[in-house]
Amino acid sequence: MSKYLYVYSLSLQNVLQRRASLLMDRVGGLAAILALYFFWSALLGQDERFLGYSRAQMLSYVLAVSLLRSFAFTGRGWEVVGEIASGRISSYLLRPLSYQGYCLAQDFAQKTVHALAALLEIGALIYLLKAPLYVPTGAWTLPLFALAALLSSLIFFYMEFFISNLAFWTSQSGGPLFCFELFLQFAAGAFFPLDVLPHPLQAALRMTPFPYLVFFPVNIYLERVPPGEALRLLGLQAAWLLLVASAVQAFWKRGVRSYAAEGG
Amino acid sequence: MAIVEASNLSKTFRVPEKGPGLWNAFKSLLHRQWRDIPAVVGASFRIEEGELVGFLGANGAGKTTTLKMLSGLLNPSSGTASVLGFVPWKRESEFQKQFSLVMGHRSQLWWELPAQETFRLNQKIYEVPEAEYRRSVEELVDLLELQGCLSIPVKKLSLGQRMKAELAVAILHRPRLLLLDEPTLGLDVVMQKRVRQFVLEYNRRNKATVLLTSHNMDDIVELCPRVLIIDSGRLLYDGSLRRVVERYAPVKVIRADFNEAVPASALEEIGRVAENGGLHAVIEVPRSEVSKRAAALLSRFPVADLTIEETPVQEVVRSLFADSSHLA
Repeated sequence: MSKYLYVYSLSLQNVLQRRASLLMDRVGGLAAILALYFFWSALLGQDERFLGYSRAQMLSYVLAVSLLRSFAFTGRGWEVVGEIASGRISSYLLRPLSYQGYCLAQDFAQKTVHALAALLEIGALIYLLKAPLYVPTGAWTLPLFALAALLSSLIFFYMEFFISNLAFWTSQSGGPLFCFELFLQFAAGAFFPLDVLPHPLQAALRMTPFPYLVFFPVNIYLERVPPGEALRLLGLQAAWLLLVASAVQAFWKRGVRSYAAEGG
Repeated sequence: MAIVEASNLSKTFRVPEKGPGLWNAFKSLLHRQWRDIPAVVGASFRIEEGELVGFLGANGAGKTTTLKMLSGLLNPSSGTASVLGFVPWKRESEFQKQFSLVMGHRSQLWWELPAQETFRLNQKIYEVPEAEYRRSVEELVDLLELQGCLSIPVKKLSLGQRMKAELAVAILHRPRLLLLDEPTLGLDVVMQKRVRQFVLEYNRRNKATVLLTSHNMDDIVELCPRVLIIDSGRLLYDGSLRRVVERYAPVKVIRADFNEAVPASALEEIGRVAENGGLHAVIEVPRSEVSKRAAALLSRFPVADLTIEETPVQEVVRSLFADSSHLA
């Protein structure tokens, strides 16, 4: 275990070392959040509701998405693709180390930094824009939301890892990864709540793991689902995590077996 | 005890093939043609504990592929291997703790951070006890003259310093088997010498087994009494480096000093005149006729001094790879 904790600590140092890159990431994310925030802010008057969301709930949805994005959607997909395609992954495969554990430790370092940065940004936005924040009333709401966020980040990690592993077979796995990330934002509810979509499409999406990444966790925070339903959603989230993680294990084993260790 | 035992080890890569031009690019989009490329074909050899073995071959001969199979990075297409008593491609932790593969153009150091951070990381990964870790670092810093380099971010180190740090981090856990792929790639001659001395010292101190590939013949000559020569995936020679010369150098070299100047044309009857300065000549003669030709030289010319030498091993190997048909 201590090796992964050390990878986590080194990765934290590494993220902090690349200050410019961190700053750019945050500025880019902030721009997207501000755009969504002002869009919903203009659309919803003081006492208006939209698809059952009050103004405070909708604006809190946007801010909660920003936090979840920073915590769950960090991933190491592009690095994994690069490391497999260039053969740099060899150096990990040769050591008594789990590459997945290594990536996860690195990813959690990114999550730590980005989630803290997002919390600071959200605090600043609430203060500067006097944003009406929805404050949950239930005692269990915040712990359940935190658990949902953790499960969401793990599902995202394994989904992205799964797609990145295509690089074992094709040198063009960047394409599927790009499509996945784009589709994910939409299907997870990061652009807008999934209630906006037509019912058949909503029903179809509910059968995929995507809504469990953002939409359901944020709805737990907004207390739009009763506690019993929240627990059921968490159970389904855990089931998705198990499924995706098991698929990754099988896919990874096959990938490593067919690995050609390219690049000399 | 055999540290490495390979038996009929083969690896075939399947690569996509495309004819020239745009039309063929479209064709390959719809119907891709594949070709099987044999990278290693039926290699069998044994390496005992403490041996220093050089792996020789031209580019694409199959050296690195063999090293990758022995380290467990690649699954072979057929054949078996036992390395340190393990099947390498099962990649068991106990196996991985006992060897190291260093590739000259690959890095495991964290680029943005000082090398000592990767050292610590490898200590955790290989579970090296603290006291042993400190001793190892001290010894490696001393042997590789790395004083002051470990606390500087890796990206600020010179290539030589980085290579040495790379070597140090790879053997921090004192592997019993060291697989080195082009360990002196890109280094200046002084640094090359230092790395070679280090490998030799490591081998002696730890009774470690070393298998190395290099295009730098000095690495092989200075380090490896035994060589494996591979060409087009086939192992063609396994034996002492000295015997390579005896077996594959078709000529010996006669160096002669004369009491008075001798024209080159007169020396042609002895052999091929490689060099002639009037009072000094270098003549290549067929290996089997060396004594006859030397006697002829002594009887017909005013020879003051004469030596008979082997062709330098570098030359032999260079010419072998320039025309590998000699090897078959």
